[in-house]
Amino acid sequence: MQTDLHLFAAAILLPLAGAVVAGLGGRLMGDTLAKAVTLLCMGAATVCGIGALWGGWTSGFGPYAVPLADWVNAGGFHATWTLRFDTLSVTMSAMVLCVSLLVHCYSVGYMSHETMPVYRFFAYLSLFTFAMLMLVSSSDLIQLFFGWEGVGLASYLLIGYWYDRPAATAAAIKAFVVNRVADLFFIVGIGLIYVLFHSVRYDEIFAAVPQAAGAFYTLFGHSFPMLEVICFLLFIGAMGKSAQLFLHTWLPDAMEGPTPVSALIHAATMVTAGVFLMARMSPLLEVAPNTRLFIIFIGATTCFFAATVGMVQPDIKRTIAYSTCSQLGYMFAAVGVGAYQVAIFHLTTHAFFKALLFLGAGSVIHAMHDEQNMFRMGGLWKKLPLTYGVMWIGSLALAGVFPFAGYWSKDAILNALWAADGRMSHYAWMLGVITAFLTAFYSWRLLFLVFHRAPADVQKRDAAHESPLFMSVPLVLLAIGAVVSGLVLAPYYIGAQQSAFWQGSIFNAPGNTIMETFEQVPGVVALLPSLVALVGIALAFLFYIASPGLPEALARSCGPVYRFLLNKWYFDELYEHIFVKPYAAIARFLWKDGEEGAVEGLPRDLVRATASGAVDAVRLQTGSIALYAFTMLAGLVVVLTVALCG
Amino acid sequence: MNAMSVNWILALPEITLALAGLVILVFGVLQRPGKGIGACTVLSIAAFVGCAVLVALSPDGAAYAGTFVNDSFARFMKILVLLGGLVALLLTVSYRTDERAPLPFETAVLILFSTVGAMIMASSANLMTLFVGLELSSLSIYILAALERDDVLSSEAGLKYFVLGSLASGLLLYGMSLVYGYAGTMEYSGLIAAIQQTTALPVGLMVGLVFLVVGLCFKLSVVPFHMWTPDVYQGAPTPVTAYMAGAPKFATFALLLRVMSGPFGAMAPRWQILIETLSILSMVYGALAAIPQTNIKRLMAYSSIGHMGYALMGLAAASTNGVRATLVYLAAYLVMNAGVFAVITAMRRKGREVTSLADLSGLGRTDPGLAAALAVFMFSMVGAPPLAGFFGKLMVFAAAWQSGLYVLVGIGALSSVIGAYYYLRVVKVMYFDASAERLDQPARSLVFVSGSMGLATVFFVLALGPLMALARQAALALGG
Amino acid sequence: MPSVLGDYAPVLVFGAISVVIAAAMLGMALVCGQQKPYPEKVTAYECGFEAFDDARRRFDVRFYLVAILFIIFDLEVAFLFPWAVSLSRIGLFGFLSMLGFLSVLGIGFLYEWRKGALDWD
Repeated sequence: MQTDLHLFAAAILLPLAGAVVAGLGGRLMGDTLAKAVTLLCMGAATVCGIGALWGGWTSGFGPYAVPLADWVNAGGFHATWTLRFDTLSVTMSAMVLCVSLLVHCYSVGYMSHETMPVYRFFAYLSLFTFAMLMLVSSSDLIQLFFGWEGVGLASYLLIGYWYDRPAATAAAIKAFVVNRVADLFFIVGIGLIYVLFHSVRYDEIFAAVPQAAGAFYTLFGHSFPMLEVICFLLFIGAMGKSAQLFLHTWLPDAMEGPTPVSALIHAATMVTAGVFLMARMSPLLEVAPNTRLFIIFIGATTCFFAATVGMVQPDIKRTIAYSTCSQLGYMFAAVGVGAYQVAIFHLTTHAFFKALLFLGAGSVIHAMHDEQNMFRMGGLWKKLPLTYGVMWIGSLALAGVFPFAGYWSKDAILNALWAADGRMSHYAWMLGVITAFLTAFYSWRLLFLVFHRAPADVQKRDAAHESPLFMSVPLVLLAIGAVVSGLVLAPYYIGAQQSAFWQGSIFNAPGNTIMETFEQVPGVVALLPSLVALVGIALAFLFYIASPGLPEALARSCGPVYRFLLNKWYFDELYEHIFVKPYAAIARFLWKDGEEGAVEGLPRDLVRATASGAVDAVRLQTGSIALYAFTMLAGLVVVLTVALCG
Repeated sequence: MNAMSVNWILALPEITLALAGLVILVFGVLQRPGKGIGACTVLSIAAFVGCAVLVALSPDGAAYAGTFVNDSFARFMKILVLLGGLVALLLTVSYRTDERAPLPFETAVLILFSTVGAMIMASSANLMTLFVGLELSSLSIYILAALERDDVLSSEAGLKYFVLGSLASGLLLYGMSLVYGYAGTMEYSGLIAAIQQTTALPVGLMVGLVFLVVGLCFKLSVVPFHMWTPDVYQGAPTPVTAYMAGAPKFATFALLLRVMSGPFGAMAPRWQILIETLSILSMVYGALAAIPQTNIKRLMAYSSIGHMGYALMGLAAASTNGVRATLVYLAAYLVMNAGVFAVITAMRRKGREVTSLADLSGLGRTDPGLAAALAVFMFSMVGAPPLAGFFGKLMVFAAAWQSGLYVLVGIGALSSVIGAYYYLRVVKVMYFDASAERLDQPARSLVFVSGSMGLATVFFVLALGPLMALARQAALALGG
Repeated sequence: MPSVLGDYAPVLVFGAISVVIAAAMLGMALVCGQQKPYPEKVTAYECGFEAFDDARRRFDVRFYLVAILFIIFDLEVAFLFPWAVSLSRIGLFGFLSMLGFLSVLGIGFLYEWRKGALDWD
């Protein structure tokens, strides 16, 4: 047992070591060595992480605590740095490590064309991995928040990695700011948890939930159930990180970062942190039914919204980004009906196929020399046979075609939504099915546009070449994952053995039987998602292979709808007017009038007045003795007056 | 009057010092011209040290038919005065005029006589003693200021100081005559009785008091009676400037404190506003006018104007605490002021004295030790903790605050901030400006003085306990 | 009041007598003396300077030195008169006090002598 805990700790600390060595010493040791160090650390960490998983598998998951250090010890508040060893954290860690290792490996090939040194990139990647591992292995909310902010920081650094591109830096700032907005709610939620439970440790919070169920929180004269408020606030935090509707705007822009980053952070791991948080906080969510309704609503709506927008995007990476957003919506909908295990299952399978899709897209972009517009590609399938193959696998998994990974997880979510049997969950089921159709459509739109259609630029097509070994090996491995992970993991994550597998690390309240009942749905309902997916594929074939003029005609005839979708439902424009412009105006006022006018101006004027006063004061000092004597006598008169009249 | 009531022993330090002065004068004048200067200085230093011992041992009491008093306040001030004189003497040791000539042997003798006068001031118990002491001190300084006869600035300084000083003495005398006229006595004890007896204070007495204060304020270079200060400080030979900025100021403060809290103590509510006004004027003017200065001696003149303003705050408080605060402030001022002038005396290039602020450029690199000492003094003058100046300022501010003079404290704090600018500018010039040509290696006596004063400034806090106890005792002796 | 004025009557008498004596001396000289006037002889005596001349003229500072030294000793000697008159009443202490004063004065005299202040050249 002890060995597993040590392996687990090593798995989490090794990426930090890699990040520190490569980040601080990269300039000295050079790129090659820095790459080697981070890859080696990641490799070792992955081995350790899988070892820990194996150990937990064979001898039980505890939960155990791995104390590393004291952190905060102030007054009544005590926080330590302790790793939590349970099924959820260990499986998540293993998943993060596997994907991260593959992305590291892939990056070696992908970043080989950079003119600038890239040790920084690898250090950031490792730093991100460490922060993500901190997030999933935390044993209290403060640690979780540390990891949460750590991944946010790494995300900011990596989105803005090409700091000489204005769009990249703007996107980085946007991602950071939108996440800060959500984090404010999150930290207030943590604060309320501390107020209610006098602790931030999971064990203590979860143990005290039954006693706290009746607590109320009064704000502006209204009373709300305290736990609902807390869960609501935590969910808003999760919405920001997981790019749910209203706080999703940063995710498409984040595609300005290098493609491996998009694969690792903005598809497989970081954006799923919100889902992880919800699963982690399942004991709290179980007693907050109203918040869960809200979660279903947001999840389902995001799911649908993102899919519609994804249909019309010309940019290959943005299409996949909206797809991610959409899939995250599925996961939240599952959380909302209490099927946390299903959400985590979809999270895991999604990590494989979405990373695969992104890396495949990266491979295309790499081959096309940084071309991202799908309409300028085409006919690549012969030049990039491996990429073509894995993209097919990824798309099949994403669309949920049997027996690929997505089939198992997505169908489970839709079944659970049906089985939950509520008005909100039916709404979610309906949107989910429509989205399944849309998903298949935009996935094959992507495939057809990139690989089959007549090439827009033949010379460029002919110059394209398959990616090097460093890039193709991860693609193959992820493709294997995308094929088999659903089949292999389903029994443990959501199947008959789930409660033995999770060992209580995900909590279902006694009344919550969704995990037992979600399989028992009518056959039509179970088949429908696969059916609509096939229809979606067929429609894509019709639109982009059979009669290529159709999409354009449709776009012209339904102009407003098309523009509405192309402009992502005008969210950016809306926010620009509601938040950004007034805020900029306030900031400008504070800068020009407040800061430069008053804060700087007042001392500046005072200094100027003092200096000129000083010059005037000295002007009296003429050296004339008569004036001196006169001054004395004048002073005498003044002083006398003061003394006699004062 | 008989021999017994004279009580010689009380004035023994003054008598000793005066006799020593005469002996040294005879000794010096019997040498061939230009010889024996060093011997005279050494003898004077010995006389100072001996005198200081005698002061420390002298008993309490009144003498000479009540015109002379010795108490712990007088002892405290005399020690300060002697230290101030001693430092000035030490600075003369290595001082050379621009013609490479040392100051004449009379310098030591004059400083010595001036110090005798200052000590008499500290012990005065009668307006006559006050005047005699003041004039003995002042007349010596008039000559000292003009010691470099061939130097235009020095002669000008002497003449200006003499003319304006005469005017001030006239005002002082006139004030004294008014006081005498309305109170009928010149003895402090008599004045106390006379003032306490009158129900309605005669205006003439108030006018007399104002004239008296004005006369003393001239010596303190308090605004608006400060006009002589920059010119005289700049023109006089640097050791003499160091002397002027020290001993006479302490003695005059001794007088002011004794007169105001003794004979005129009962009138405190009437003169508080007067002192407050003078204090504010000095602090603000000292801070402002120093800013455009480019000559460090002029700068120090304005600095001393400002410092006198702060010291007056303690007097304005009109309480035992206030007097104590002023005494501590003066002690701190003595230490850092002496240090600054030691550094200024050391400012020489190729044998010639330089006094421009720009000559300090890059001193932090060319002479780190001297620069560090000057930086310490400047920070202390600003009032940065934990240096000497901080405690002085803290105590006078606290005393004024306790007496409810909030406006005074506010303006004091403000002018401290303004003053910080020009003090720190010196530090900036030393450490951040391009190096000027190297200064000459400072003489050992100057290194000793600046070093010891630097240590005293830094470790002032260690002596703060006993010092405050002594100052408190002195203040109590005064308050009676 | 009349008595106060009466006290000053001797002064009036002194004044009158001095007027008479001065008038007599000048008058006798005018009446009995032999008159041989010429311009140099009748100008007012001004220590060797032109009587009517630019006031801002340079002249030897030694005049002042001598004058000041004279005044100092003159003034100090003035202290001797009250002392001499009351010597019988102030006793040995009074006598010694003045000796002390005189010795200080003597040191001053020694100083100015050694310094050459009394030499004209």
